[in-house]
Amino acid sequence: MNITEIIVVSLIKIVLVIVMILVAVIFLVYFERRISAWIQYRIGPNRVGWKGILQTTADVMKLLLKEDIVPSASNKTLHTLAPIIALFVAFSTYAVIPFGPDVTIFGYQVKLMVADVNIGVLYVLALTSLGVYGITFAGYSSGSKYSLLGGIRSSAQMISYEVSMGFSVAGVLLLSESLNPQKIVLAQSGWMWNAILQPIGFITFVVSAFAETNRLPFDLPEAEPELVGGYHTEYSSMKFAGFFLAEYANMIIASAMITTLYLGGWQIPYIDKLGLGVTLTTLLQVGAFFLKVIFLLFFFIWVRWSIPRFRYDQLMSLGWKVMFPLSIINIIWVACLIMIFNL
Amino acid sequence: MSLYDIIFYLFAAITILSGFIVVTSKNIVYSAFSLLFTFFGVAGIYVLLGADFIAIVQILVYVGGILILLLFGVMLTNKITNVDIRTGTIHVLPGAVAVGVLMGLLLSAMVWTEWKTQPSETPVTTTVTLGRLLITDYILIFELLGILLLIALIGAASIARREQE
Amino acid sequence: MELSNLSHSLNLLLPELTLSIALLVLVLFDLIFHHDKKIISYVALIGLLATGFFVINQFSLSGFAFSTGNESYRNFGMITIDSFGSFFKLIVIVASVIIVFFSLSSDEIKKTSERIGEYYALIFGMILGMLFMISATDLILIYLSVELLSLSSYVLAGFTKLRERNSEASLKYMIYGSVSSGLMLFGISLVYGMTGTTNLYMINSLIQIPHLNLFTFSFAMILIFAGIGYKISSAPFHFWTPDVYEGAPITITAFLSVASKAAGFALLIRFVKITFVSYIDTSGFWQLIHVFDWKTLIVVISIFTMTLGNFSALWQDNLKRMLAYSSIAHAGYIMLGLAVLSNQGLTAMLIYFAVYLLMNLGAFLVVMLIANKINSEEIDDYDGLGYSSPFLAASLAIFLISLTGLPPTAGFIGKLYLFVALVDANMIGLAVVALLNTVVSLYYYVRVLKHMYLTKPETAIPEIKTSKPNTILVLVLLIPIFIFGIYFTPLVDLAKGCITILGL
Repeated sequence: MNITEIIVVSLIKIVLVIVMILVAVIFLVYFERRISAWIQYRIGPNRVGWKGILQTTADVMKLLLKEDIVPSASNKTLHTLAPIIALFVAFSTYAVIPFGPDVTIFGYQVKLMVADVNIGVLYVLALTSLGVYGITFAGYSSGSKYSLLGGIRSSAQMISYEVSMGFSVAGVLLLSESLNPQKIVLAQSGWMWNAILQPIGFITFVVSAFAETNRLPFDLPEAEPELVGGYHTEYSSMKFAGFFLAEYANMIIASAMITTLYLGGWQIPYIDKLGLGVTLTTLLQVGAFFLKVIFLLFFFIWVRWSIPRFRYDQLMSLGWKVMFPLSIINIIWVACLIMIFNL
Repeated sequence: MSLYDIIFYLFAAITILSGFIVVTSKNIVYSAFSLLFTFFGVAGIYVLLGADFIAIVQILVYVGGILILLLFGVMLTNKITNVDIRTGTIHVLPGAVAVGVLMGLLLSAMVWTEWKTQPSETPVTTTVTLGRLLITDYILIFELLGILLLIALIGAASIARREQE
Repeated sequence: MELSNLSHSLNLLLPELTLSIALLVLVLFDLIFHHDKKIISYVALIGLLATGFFVINQFSLSGFAFSTGNESYRNFGMITIDSFGSFFKLIVIVASVIIVFFSLSSDEIKKTSERIGEYYALIFGMILGMLFMISATDLILIYLSVELLSLSSYVLAGFTKLRERNSEASLKYMIYGSVSSGLMLFGISLVYGMTGTTNLYMINSLIQIPHLNLFTFSFAMILIFAGIGYKISSAPFHFWTPDVYEGAPITITAFLSVASKAAGFALLIRFVKITFVSYIDTSGFWQLIHVFDWKTLIVVISIFTMTLGNFSALWQDNLKRMLAYSSIAHAGYIMLGLAVLSNQGLTAMLIYFAVYLLMNLGAFLVVMLIANKINSEEIDDYDGLGYSSPFLAASLAIFLISLTGLPPTAGFIGKLYLFVALVDANMIGLAVVALLNTVVSLYYYVRVLKHMYLTKPETAIPEIKTSKPNTILVLVLLIPIFIFGIYFTPLVDLAKGCITILGL
């Protein structure tokens, strides 16, 4: 492939991914409301469209038409910048997630990911750590107590859980001997999913992912009873929509990362034994990836509507006194596995 | 000027300009914010040099860790305890002279020295080699760094703890 | 690096390993015994004694550890073990043991007894940094060990947080320290850019090429010297010294003034010797590679340092501050030994250090014991001390006389060997300057004696009683000063046996 073709293919992939996420977020919001209603024995949105399926679209239209209020005590530049940072981080993380194996389309060898980065996992971690800025700046620039407290809580929380997240990933890297997401997926062939080989790391990673995405039970930055809306209290219209979008996009990226690192990515155990054609196998594998992600998203929603919120000190002591040691134990565990079984 | 050069100068300009704002800005939050771009510029230059791992770690550690803690501290002291943090400059003239002399020396050293260069190779991923070097040749440095960080941790805890009268 | 090589390297590193393990044990014990922390001091003491044992064991050993790179220069390492290093390590360990005893009887430290674990952990960090500084032969390791030492001392300088001048000391120390370590790092990067290596032995062979840019290289050397000069508090990098010495807890001040300085000097000597000496001639003079004029730099700096230290000490009314300036002056004297650039000069430096350890620690110990009782270090509060507490006053007098360098104390022997080395190297002018400086220093040391013995106190002061262990500690420092002042052959022999710096 020459440089023009690479650029064209990459652009197509980027557009595809962005459209996919936007559509996914719209449905995700709808499903979250329906599932929460179902869990709480309510009906949920059911007026707009068939069974209320267009509810989110209507909400977005409403937000678009609202006035964009910028508080007079705010810091205008940072106030505008904050949701942009949040969105930028949320979207650019998808670049390294592999959706399936390499495929050949129209004679081109195409990788089913936007960029095949050698240190993809680190890239995701680095961008995740950037995500804090959106929230911190939002909290600082709004010029409101609630926002500031939300921003501070969030940055402390995200930094704390980033540590155990990084250490859990280290266990995965030990087994796959690579930082490349595609290679990590390939290393989990057959039944050897990382979730099975290193259950402790899986749990710590999932918990940290919940904390990193500020979802319940760790949604202290926007705890409604105490902080009104947390860091986005002073946001309205499209800027608010930006944060909203980023939050759900982060949820999807977290699920995709969990799938890639621990649930075998797009792999279906022993599918090559069935003797299906290449095209069918690939389609099934891509389908499997999305299925896994959707299940995890359901899990996210399920947890949100089942478990109460932590107190702030509980959150911190869970992060530092439980998750952190556990993730280190996981590394030792993986090292022992490698030593004993020569994996 | 090749594409490579253009990208280099772009990153260098970002680094220097934002660095200038860091030291001149009156508002410490703006300083911290432009420090973000300084780190990014440096990371970009690392990428250009083929040091992908260092570049990402630069962002991960400096941007994701250190800078956010810095902002955290500023926000806590500035907005919550209402301490007005001023960044003033005193002794501008002697400072400028000293910095000017130092810069002149460094620049002339930079220009006139025959630096030891090595033929550049196409950048390959550095992670594996780096990791191997760290636990073979530089194992002592690596372990000693661990102790250094432990000491830093103990020291920080010691400073932060409130003394009972 | 192969595994066999690693075990060989680790064998040479036993003192450092012991110390690191002791540091971890300290941290653990601090967590386990958080109700009664008395045990921690003893753990620290045991760790230090074990380390000291291995250091003494190493006196006969020599070799390179942790070689980097490929086959072609496998025989040089990041660390060099030789008798010179062992001598300085012993100095550091002895000083540390004495400091632990200091801390046991210091009121300042007793007040922070629940943080004693952190205190010792940080001290161990300092010692570890010093041990690595003494034997490092790689610029990366040099920088790292300097940084380890600095980081721990920044915190320790402000360890007792209740007084304002404590935090001031800590902050000043840190600001000056980070600037100087930044300069040093700049110098290191310049050297690396010119030679492509960080190993001192490699640099030695690489700077003999004709095309070396001398301007850049000298600039780099001055920057590196800034980093080391800060550690040994030589002028013009001494600004932090008085404030830090006055503000820090006195145990830390004593430790900084002796051990930290010893490690800095060891680093400087090893750096100059390994990197620049091309050969040693038959009469023991070092012939340097003609790339940087170390001799002039060191002569100028040492004259500056001792003159500045001595003249500033004249005006000081606070004993700690006066001792700080006096320690700057002593750094100047010791540097003279390096300026000679000969084996004889090196021997003189080693002797001086052994003596300086005893007398400086002794002076600080007595000041501390007095401050424990009268809560002051001002010279006016020492009025009439010679009559109310004769033992302490007499010991302080002896320590100060020794610091001046008058016979029959060990201080005299230290200065004597230094001056002889200078004269032998035909540097008589320098010897005269040093001698004049000694005369100046006599004034401010004797001023303390005058206050203790000749000035009548305004109010009657009670006798300062010292407990038995403290008396013993003072005597342990005091008696050798007399012994070495009269019977100094073993000390000189030891020093003469410890001037091997591996590499040539």
